[in-house]
Amino acid sequence: MSAGGKPGFKPIADRKTVPVYCIQCVAGPDLLKVEVEDGVATRIESNYGIQDEHPGAGRVCVKAYGLIQKTYNPHRIRQPMKRTNPLKGREHDPGFVPISWDEALDLVAEKLRGIRARGILDESGYPRLAFTSGGGGTPVQYMGTWPAFMVAWGKLDQGYGSGQGLKCYHSEHLYGELWHRAFIVSPDTPYCNYVINCGNNVEAAGGVAGIWREADARVRGLKRIQVEPHLSVSGAVSAEWVPIRPKTDAAFLYGLLHRILVETDWRKNCDLPFLEQSTNFPYLLGPHGYFLRDPETLKPLIWDSEANRARIWSDAIAHPAFEGTFRVSGVELGPDEERWEHRDIEVHTVFHETIEFLRRYTPEWAEAECDVPAATVRRVADEFIAHACIGETIEIEGQTLPLRPVAVMLGKTVNNGWGGYHACWARTLLVALVGALEVPGGLVGTMVKLNRPANDRHKSVLPTVDGFMEYPFNETSREGWQGKPDLRNAYISLVPLVGHSAWAPALGPAHLPWLFQKNPPAGLPRTTKPEVWICYRSNPAISSLERERVAQQIAEFPFTVAFAYTLDETNYLADVLLPEATDLESLQLIRIGTTKTVQQFWRHQGWAIRQPVANPVVDSRDMTDIATELARRVGILGEYNEAINGGAAGCRLSREQFDYGLDPNVAHGRDEIWDAVCKAASHELTRGEEVHGVDWFREHGFMLRPYPQLQWYLYPTVKKRGLRFELPYQERILRHGTQLARRLHEAGIDWWTRQLEEYQPLPHYESFPDIWINYAKEVGRDPKDYPFFALTARSMQYSWGANAGIPLINEIAQNVAGHKGVIINRGCARELGIAEGDPVVITSPVGETSGFAVLREGIRPDTVLMIGQFDHWAMPVAKDLQLPSLNNLTSIALSLTDSTGSSADLARVAIRKGSGPRRPA
Amino acid sequence: MNAPNKTPRWGMVVDLNRCVGCQTCTIACKHANDTPPGVQWRRVLDIEHGTFPNVQREFLLVGCQHCANPSCVPVCPSGATRQRADGFVTMDYDLCIGCASCAEACPYQARTLVHDQRWYFGVATPQERQVEHPDRIGVAQKCTFCVERVDDGLAHGKVPGLDLNYTPACAAACVARAIRFGDFNDPDSEVNRLLAGTPSFQMHAELGNDPQIKYLYQVPAIPGRDLNGDAIDDALADPSNPLTGPHQPWWDYRAAMNFMLGGMSSGLMFLAWLTHQFFGLPQDAFVRLTTAAGAVMAVGLFFVFLKIGRKARFLNVLLRPQSSWMTRETYFVAIIFPALAVNLLVPQAWLPAVIGLGGLGFLYCQAKILHASKGVPAWRAPLMPWLLTATGLLEGSGLYALAHAVAPAALPYGSAAATLGAFATLATGVLWLRYRLGAKAAGIEPLARREIDRISSLVSGLGHAVPLLGFLTLAATSAVAAPVAFVTGAAAIAGGLFWKYRILTRAGFLQSHAMPKLPRRGSGARAAPYRAGYPPVLR
Repeated sequence: MSAGGKPGFKPIADRKTVPVYCIQCVAGPDLLKVEVEDGVATRIESNYGIQDEHPGAGRVCVKAYGLIQKTYNPHRIRQPMKRTNPLKGREHDPGFVPISWDEALDLVAEKLRGIRARGILDESGYPRLAFTSGGGGTPVQYMGTWPAFMVAWGKLDQGYGSGQGLKCYHSEHLYGELWHRAFIVSPDTPYCNYVINCGNNVEAAGGVAGIWREADARVRGLKRIQVEPHLSVSGAVSAEWVPIRPKTDAAFLYGLLHRILVETDWRKNCDLPFLEQSTNFPYLLGPHGYFLRDPETLKPLIWDSEANRARIWSDAIAHPAFEGTFRVSGVELGPDEERWEHRDIEVHTVFHETIEFLRRYTPEWAEAECDVPAATVRRVADEFIAHACIGETIEIEGQTLPLRPVAVMLGKTVNNGWGGYHACWARTLLVALVGALEVPGGLVGTMVKLNRPANDRHKSVLPTVDGFMEYPFNETSREGWQGKPDLRNAYISLVPLVGHSAWAPALGPAHLPWLFQKNPPAGLPRTTKPEVWICYRSNPAISSLERERVAQQIAEFPFTVAFAYTLDETNYLADVLLPEATDLESLQLIRIGTTKTVQQFWRHQGWAIRQPVANPVVDSRDMTDIATELARRVGILGEYNEAINGGAAGCRLSREQFDYGLDPNVAHGRDEIWDAVCKAASHELTRGEEVHGVDWFREHGFMLRPYPQLQWYLYPTVKKRGLRFELPYQERILRHGTQLARRLHEAGIDWWTRQLEEYQPLPHYESFPDIWINYAKEVGRDPKDYPFFALTARSMQYSWGANAGIPLINEIAQNVAGHKGVIINRGCARELGIAEGDPVVITSPVGETSGFAVLREGIRPDTVLMIGQFDHWAMPVAKDLQLPSLNNLTSIALSLTDSTGSSADLARVAIRKGSGPRRPA
Repeated sequence: MNAPNKTPRWGMVVDLNRCVGCQTCTIACKHANDTPPGVQWRRVLDIEHGTFPNVQREFLLVGCQHCANPSCVPVCPSGATRQRADGFVTMDYDLCIGCASCAEACPYQARTLVHDQRWYFGVATPQERQVEHPDRIGVAQKCTFCVERVDDGLAHGKVPGLDLNYTPACAAACVARAIRFGDFNDPDSEVNRLLAGTPSFQMHAELGNDPQIKYLYQVPAIPGRDLNGDAIDDALADPSNPLTGPHQPWWDYRAAMNFMLGGMSSGLMFLAWLTHQFFGLPQDAFVRLTTAAGAVMAVGLFFVFLKIGRKARFLNVLLRPQSSWMTRETYFVAIIFPALAVNLLVPQAWLPAVIGLGGLGFLYCQAKILHASKGVPAWRAPLMPWLLTATGLLEGSGLYALAHAVAPAALPYGSAAATLGAFATLATGVLWLRYRLGAKAAGIEPLARREIDRISSLVSGLGHAVPLLGFLTLAATSAVAAPVAFVTGAAAIAGGLFWKYRILTRAGFLQSHAMPKLPRRGSGARAAPYRAGYPPVLR
């Protein structure tokens, strides 16, 4: 052995490596290679073969390195299991006993056949079959052809949440898609110079691509102001930390708007051509708060200051008026086709209305609300304007576009629940004021989930008569409103903005079914329990709001099928455990490239494969084989195969130019199915120039073709279509809200009234923290007993990977502050007599959690922080971590749910020193 | 910039403005190097400076710095730790005896020893079985800069640092491109280009190791921040501060036994020879005294033997006399014990000098072993060799007095011996006070200083004042009072043993990590400048 050598060092060239992808969280995918020796997966490394194309230079995220321990975890469910104890609950040992795959699939298929025999909808009109998965939709990239099974099945309830709506960027998802086709919003980091970051923790939640791009921007000189109650990882690498009071970000942003539009000269601050031509600022408003329209075309009117008359928005108007009072005739279109005709009335513009609206939100007002000094509000606003470079341009792929290198980002919790609309509105307006929306350097969207088509956000830019982009609102008209919901969370009935794409059920009020099951809502059908509930790559008994309640509801489900990797808190309550082949054991081809969450901006598009890398260690099965076999046993094989042929495995197998379709009447093997998908995908990508089957992909890992960078920006498409961004005035929100209020009133539903108040065209600020403070009263407690805010923050090492039971991840996560307990301000802890490592108990009006104190300076004294989601009680390894969880403290409550059906990861709490020993060193 | 040089000098540049503390490097290293649970050759600290609301949080990558002047190499008694011409500080697990001298000598907390095979889930997984390294049990280990990958690359004409498959795993894996690896002797290397444009610091440059990880801390136009020295010192009093060095875990009571018993016995050998040579101690009494001292020394050495990780290889301790004080100590052992044996069986006139001077040599070697532990500020203090030597002589004097009190006829004792004892006590007392008062200036950090302060009154009072009084009394009286000799001897021994035990097992905190310059992220320098007074305020 050489000095320094280790025995058996194998030269790189002699190593066997297998290419796969990792998309355990939405920030992926990253590509990696798994080294294999003697049929055993030994090590993981980035796939450097894609470093020139991948936006994170081909590096793989820290979480992916946990996959080998995930594969060889001795606590894995080693074969299908069946519950023997009919009593379900945390306190009842499920008595799981091993059964064969044949028996397990028969058991499940029999239940499903029974449902089909009686009809897939129950007496309430709700699907008898429900399905829940988590991870921001990433489980789809692991579930093989399971989506085809669901398509073949027909209506099933995907509206049971496992944390959706509060652990995502919920308001941004909905309003972002409405305003600029931005389910997720990102700075155009490579060109951006100044970012106001309200709680957005991109260095923990943005994945490799986010970290890589931000690091490049940082050393280039990008300045980021981090506005958040605790100093996150992103705060650490920002130029400045502004410790804001929790849930008051909108107040800070309103203060910025006031500074720019009211306190200083907006003509010098703003991108006037953008405001004139690309927003609804010049639109005239009627006395009822709706646009004043041309009676013939019904198009909204603008005052042409040169022609000195009102004209429709689509006319070429060089100088639309912003300020002043105008005498105009026209019509207003109100709710439910109400129509008001006006003759020669005095009207103002949206701009005027906005200025008047913002007048009250001074920096001093903001300081009183959000605890950020007024001087800081003013300085940040001034810096933002100074960095906006209004008037500058940049050439991208031969096309000259505006360059506006400023952005405003929002984080989780800022974006969720009450105040989310306000924060989203204010930040989108801020960037619009300087013309930084959907242009290089500015604020851009990454993808769509509510608009269609799914893989090209530009194609959904279709015109409305108002000059904005079309949007798939759920109907609120008398005729169109869905008075009898088809899913238990009633998203189509309650949330017009969430639309009705396949993603919409999970983006509706997904926590409400858990509430409605015990507290049936008046005016809606009785919330029946699903006869069969299937849970995949998700642990709602851990990851939900008020998780104890959720676990109790799960325990009441009559038949639960859990795809299970190890025992966890949800499958502990299941009837059948199906151990599916995990990340490094199963086969799937996915789309990569284009623009995707969170900062995956590619100049390429294509496909990547995940495949079994080593000899199997447990009796698991590939999800594709499970789906095929269940489809066969349930008697829907034909529909299932047709769904695959139609694209349910990620790519249509037959088009005009090619046909790789599967025989619908035959149960195909996994490799056969994916071989067809690989061929169709490569054919589609290369227009038939280079067609490859599954073996080629297994060897090469991925296939790419160029994708234009111009596609990153929506502004050119909006301009090309002659459209405007629907900002700042929200006429459609007002109309839908008013109509919805009438529909609900007509249906006798009075428990959604508070939510209806949020449908304002210019959203008025209210003291959002008070909603959480006063919640204590609702459950008979005194708010004064809960003097602290409890928050959570993303853990890059843990988030969404279901890797709480992986000791390697735990070991390295310990190096990142907060992974050992509850973060408490050091000075505050001193006053409470709490020392580093002391056991502490955190109580909220509805729950309790405990952990060890981690004392830091980088947190407000009125706030405590619990990273990630822990406090497991069933999952091996995880249950020994002694880590707290905010999910024990939060509440599922209508009063904490906003109009989009979102709540927030936030609770008011008390802290006390616990008993027992300090945290072991 | 360095002149072109054919021999590369491999090193790293870490950009503190890029690092986000995600630990991808940590985990990539664990994969590439198959390290067991709890062992992290590479890791990133998560640090705070300041108090709310003026706080800065930083991430500091740490691990073996592959120093140009590595303090771990000369202390290694077996030659297992070496430095290659191209800079890699390497480990040969098959030579290492597991004495942990290198770990104590490293001021960067880079080394560790694992004595038992450990598994992540308690039981070995197939993967752990596949990649286990039994050769690393009981020996020192640390970051290798992935030397095999680099050598593999060089053998295939690749450029380590640029070709990621042949770059240290942490640098290749870094998702922020914060870690770069390259040749400092190549003026055109990426690492040198990065250093050329931006100021950098070396961690603990003042210690003289010339570490080869260089930290970039500023972006163009915005200087990093300096830290107030007192604030740093205060922060290091907090054991939960990630910068604060933990207590060294390797040298426990067993190592302390050798310093205690070895110091006492070797001091006695030297004193016995002095008294024999110059003040008339008879040969037979000399034999009795030194034989007893030899027995005490043997017990101490046996405890050291118990401590080393690879006992079967203990003879490898002899392989590095050119630099290792542990090797040299062993050579003195090899002289002392045969001399003692021969002198016991067939006394020779010249042997007492061999034994006495051998004892002194042993004592000095032992003092230098502790002093060479550069990773432990309380041990590497400049006065440490003299303090340990003087203490050994004091303890030897004490042991002599004590032995006389127990067997006065067999072991005659006179004022000369007492005078020597008084001198040794005086010297030890003064050195201890200077050690204690100069601790902060010598770089000893708060947690260790707290321990030194805690024991100091007992050491000075019981260990120095009482023996001094006793030795002076014994020197002044013609008839030695056995009780006085007993108390004097016992106090001298107790004082010496006490401080050595506590300084080894309670004040042995490892050198803290340091971030002398704070990065300031996001200068805004490339953006439009902030225009004071713009936009103008209306009204």
